Amino acid sequence: MSSFAMERDLATQGRVITALAERALRVQLRRAQFLLPSFLLPLLLLAVIASGTSAAQQLPGFPSTGSYVGFVVSGTIMQGTLLAGLMAGIAIAGDIEGGFFDRLLSAPVHRASIVLGRVLGTALIGVAQAILFLSVALALGADFKGGVIGVLLTIMLAALSASAAAGLGATIALRTGSLSLMQNLFPFVFVLLFTAPAFFPRALLNPVLETISVVNPLSYVVEGMRGALFDSAALGSVWAGFAAGIGSVVLTCTLAVWAMRSRVRS
Amino acid sequence: MQRDDKAGDAEATIEVEGLERIYPGGLRAVDGVDLAVAAGEIYGFLGPNGAGKSTTVRILTTLLRPTGGLARVAGYDVVKQASQVRRSIGVALQEAALDPLMTGRELLQLQGALHGLRRPESKLRATELLERVDLVVAADRLLNTYSGGMRRRLDLAMALVHRPSVLFLDEPTTGLDPVSRSSLWSELRKLNDEGTTIFLTTQYLEEAEQLADRVGIIDHGKIVAEGTPQELGRLVGEPGLYVKLIDEGQSENARELLAVHGAVSDRAAGGLTIRTALGARAIAPIVRTLDEAQIEVDAVEVEEPTLDDVFLAVTGHRAEEGSEEDVA
Repeated sequence: MSSFAMERDLATQGRVITALAERALRVQLRRAQFLLPSFLLPLLLLAVIASGTSAAQQLPGFPSTGSYVGFVVSGTIMQGTLLAGLMAGIAIAGDIEGGFFDRLLSAPVHRASIVLGRVLGTALIGVAQAILFLSVALALGADFKGGVIGVLLTIMLAALSASAAAGLGATIALRTGSLSLMQNLFPFVFVLLFTAPAFFPRALLNPVLETISVVNPLSYVVEGMRGALFDSAALGSVWAGFAAGIGSVVLTCTLAVWAMRSRVRS
Repeated sequence: MQRDDKAGDAEATIEVEGLERIYPGGLRAVDGVDLAVAAGEIYGFLGPNGAGKSTTVRILTTLLRPTGGLARVAGYDVVKQASQVRRSIGVALQEAALDPLMTGRELLQLQGALHGLRRPESKLRATELLERVDLVVAADRLLNTYSGGMRRRLDLAMALVHRPSVLFLDEPTTGLDPVSRSSLWSELRKLNDEGTTIFLTTQYLEEAEQLADRVGIIDHGKIVAEGTPQELGRLVGEPGLYVKLIDEGQSENARELLAVHGAVSDRAAGGLTIRTALGARAIAPIVRTLDEAQIEVDAVEVEEPTLDDVFLAVTGHRAEEGSEEDVA
């Protein structure tokens, strides 16, 4: 392929990815059953935590972050992005069962572009979730020492977390093609969440959860958010967060593209 | 409508040789299909559920790989040159798979982007197509408010976004009312007149007769008959005329009188069927014969052969609809 043809192909695939991301965003936001788990459920949990569990901060070993809401909002973002990723998988399974996926496959687009369009749409949802949850946390008394830079880094980590979750959701949806199976995966989101230090610092997790949290990449992403929001390396390494986030996105998207190729071949 | 002058006199746009698809578990959905469709032709692919129609279409549209044989569409191999095939074809699969939470205009613009159109070009093409399929008023409504006929028209419009030279339609009128069906047929004829080659699967012989230049009948993954709709219709034998009498008690008398026009058989409630090579042209003499004998006629109808009749004629068994799920 000549360099001109390659550039033209890249531009075309860029348009395809943007159009598919736009569709993912638009349709998800029109679906009430999506908005409830992705936006309202994490907000509800944040509100409950803000009103009734701030005594957790008094536990020995709990880091000083001003308010518990400020500490826990990273977990809320993580919860929201994981649920958005699961909803992305549900949407793909719905497309497969409803036949819309065949329409995408019969168009002259790269298989990877179909996955990346959905991942990009979910990343944008992750950005919207992070902005909303951080705003609510600020309104509830959180004080982010990391300032605007810390907030921007957290939003970027949220986008990575949502992308990785979308890649994972897409992989499962493409392997199984089953909408009902995807809909039954909600509990696993909470398993992932509670095996990472989403709502408590790692030192306060029980030994089993603490061991699992070492291999759970979400641990580094959520701690990276805290490190950025409070400008504190003791709360978490931002770079480790980005490394874990980018690594997870690459891994899950590769698995999703592989799952799609395998689906088409069969 | 017969246009078999187009068949065979142009280079084949769809060429299939010994096509096979065996699913894991051993189900042989397509079992050595050979066919050729000329440029500008409408080819009707008939068969009951589970015969292998949809699997064949999925292979020709690159959605499924064959396990044997060769298939070329618009000059490209469906396995080795799948991307070029996808650029050349428009596809409207069974059940008009459309996202109910998008509007008609959004779906057309998305389809434009999938085929590489830039945004302004895509918007313009969407507007043109909405006009063409008469959906301008509903263009900005969500799909979940569309009727079956509107969805089918939009589905067709989406298949045309990139002006394909070959169009694949999988049971395009299944479940539509007669008015919507007729409107879709007329749009397909227009497209064919503009030069588009159409490969159409259907369960309705009438649809094939209305649209197709040639028809292939598939059963258990094999083509069991091929020809013009008229040729296939003739396989059933002489056309039938159904005569319903007002007075059932006169049927015995009528049966004897009508024997001069063809082979007469009894039907329920005083009805008779006369098989005659004259077909509809025998109506007048039949009515005259009965009138002269003062036998009052309630109705006379030409009995069109159905897919089931053709099936029975070519395979020796009836098309068992729904007896076996279509695998793809």
